[in-house]
Amino acid sequence: MSNTQSQEKQAEASQQPQQQKATVLEEDDEFEDFPVDDWSENETEQAAGSAANGNNVHLWEESWDDDDAAEDFSKQLKEELKKVEASH
Amino acid sequence: MTMSFQGGSVLDRFFTGLAEIVRNRDGAKLQDFLQIEPPLPDVYAQMVDELRQQYPNGSPKEADLLRRCEGLVPKSAGGSAWTAFPTFMKLYFSFLRDVNIENLLETYDMLKALLNQCVIALGDGQFGVVVLPTVLYLSKVLAKLAMGLDRRPELVAHLLRIEGGPDQDESTEKVTLVEKSANVVREAFIKCLTDRSGTPGVHGKPEGKRAGIYLMANLCLKLLFQCGKLRNAEQMFASITAQSPPLKHFPASQRVTYLYYLGRYLLSNNLFFPAQIALQAAYDQCHRQAINQKRLILTYLITCNIILGRFPSMALLQRPESEGLADKFVPVCQLITRGDYIAFREHLTTNSPTTEWFARKGILLPLRNRCEIFVWRSLARKVFIHGGFHADTQGQAQRGPPPFLYLSKLEAAVRWLQSRHSSQSSLSAVSPFGATPNASADKSRFGSQTVSIGKDPDFYSLDGPPAANGSPNISLISKYSDYLCPDGFFDAMGQWQSNPARTLVDGTPNPDYSQYEIDPYAYEPDQDTNGPSPLMREIESILASLLTQGLMRGYLTHRNPRLAIPGARLRGALPTGFPNIWQTIHARESEDTGVPGWVQPPSTMAGSVALGGGGRVVNLSGARPVGVQ
Repeated sequence: MSNTQSQEKQAEASQQPQQQKATVLEEDDEFEDFPVDDWSENETEQAAGSAANGNNVHLWEESWDDDDAAEDFSKQLKEELKKVEASH
Repeated sequence: MTMSFQGGSVLDRFFTGLAEIVRNRDGAKLQDFLQIEPPLPDVYAQMVDELRQQYPNGSPKEADLLRRCEGLVPKSAGGSAWTAFPTFMKLYFSFLRDVNIENLLETYDMLKALLNQCVIALGDGQFGVVVLPTVLYLSKVLAKLAMGLDRRPELVAHLLRIEGGPDQDESTEKVTLVEKSANVVREAFIKCLTDRSGTPGVHGKPEGKRAGIYLMANLCLKLLFQCGKLRNAEQMFASITAQSPPLKHFPASQRVTYLYYLGRYLLSNNLFFPAQIALQAAYDQCHRQAINQKRLILTYLITCNIILGRFPSMALLQRPESEGLADKFVPVCQLITRGDYIAFREHLTTNSPTTEWFARKGILLPLRNRCEIFVWRSLARKVFIHGGFHADTQGQAQRGPPPFLYLSKLEAAVRWLQSRHSSQSSLSAVSPFGATPNASADKSRFGSQTVSIGKDPDFYSLDGPPAANGSPNISLISKYSDYLCPDGFFDAMGQWQSNPARTLVDGTPNPDYSQYEIDPYAYEPDQDTNGPSPLMREIESILASLLTQGLMRGYLTHRNPRLAIPGARLRGALPTGFPNIWQTIHARESEDTGVPGWVQPPSTMAGSVALGGGGRVVNLSGARPVGVQ
């Protein structure tokens, strides 16, 4: 992130003091009221996301199957299956 | 507070101001006048003093106060005066005069009565809308108070003792303060939704009382979630679907809050796909600086996506609002990918410290119950990679057998996992299922070979299937002595006969008395050592479930158990036999992209809507998918 962007963010953040509390660990489960009633589309998450990363923000991994045969579990499983094969 | 206080008593000027506000129908200013939450400006203390002097509690003067309040309402020629409003105002003054905020419970009751009366005033077709901001304000204060009391049970303990005393009917469900508040707020919601002015339903706009639909709904939902009475929200969503203007006409804060609660409601009803659409829309429309709200939305959005077979990307997990979420969700995703079902279960077992957070958020059970099948898919996939027959994918005209996997290899892999975990058991967390809950399953003689639960005490005596030729013996008699040889019985004439000697009152029990034994198992385990093991049968049924859900493709052969993957010549065995989970679920679910409870603007393209007339069934198949980027 560039310096000007982060400065902007800081400035914006100080305008909304209610949202600055980063109480991550003792977070409340309650959905807080928003400090403002309405906002335009270009203040939304969607607009922020597409501005940062082009139009296609990669939020979700659809393909996560593990094909890494060198990974520990796979390696051990492979050895085990070899043993089964040999005993037959 | 914009009251000006020059000359005369505060109360007089307050009344003058109120009369003008009512005349101008200025709801916002009315709410601003009717403050109740401490710390109140000094003028209110002055007004309280005047009220106590002029209209003491319980004095006949109180009738005068009511009469004064009646003067605030314009006299209409038709005669249908807004009588609920003076009663409300009288209650407001009484509240200010009498409330003792040291006593939170009493304050709660008075405030609830005040709100109740305000909601009745809201019901007026002509003037009701004037008190809408006041209803919202009072509702919020009441909700705050109820939720505060809910977190401090010692303050309401004496109330519970009175209500739950010996005279009380134990069978009736106790209604908490939070739920009582939700019920009052719901009344206000209904008044907003059923406003008779203007255009109702999907063609309407948020005008008149309808402007309050989602404000009241969101507050009610917050309370219902707090008291765990989600089922009570069902009618609300149905009413909104039937009568509300489209959500998109309402301000962003109301839209996002509503979509958050709607998504959570759908999630808790196992409607993961529509829940994902609603939560994704809540996230997309959320103000980008509202970090806390975004984090809560993401907690449930990520859960839905994992259950639908999509994992959060690193890009998403590195956002500021995701702080802390990666630590929770990434291990779950890794365990799904790995395929070690025992490790997956142990990670999400009840009472383990890692699961406390999931349990508090209400996502432990959906994640654990819905994702285990993905773990089995991963395991089957890996066993196929390392031990399956992959067929010749090069020669296109080959006529060899399709790719297949002997299930005995999967069985061997499961046994390996079980032995691996039982040797590690000293390290594993103590679970209510016993020290090595899932690894020990392979030692059970009956039932599941992959799930082990502690013995039900009622069945402790069952060590095996009933003996085929058992005869009545000492152990049988001692086991059923209370029935076979009781200390007394009623004879055929209905006379009590005592039996001090404890003889067998019905004679010797039938030799096959044991057939009356409770037998939870429908069949005897196969004694034939050459046949498939119970574990094999269980693996077959797990794979059959995966095939039925479309999460794997192919077929099973039962004799000489195999999984065969036909039609793999073009795309290869792995993509054919183990299709992408998200794409499979998405293709199936996105036939209907409507989200129950989310009112969309009437489609101008789909003729079916217009033709639908009075019907409620709207075909949305031609509409653009909602919330899909």
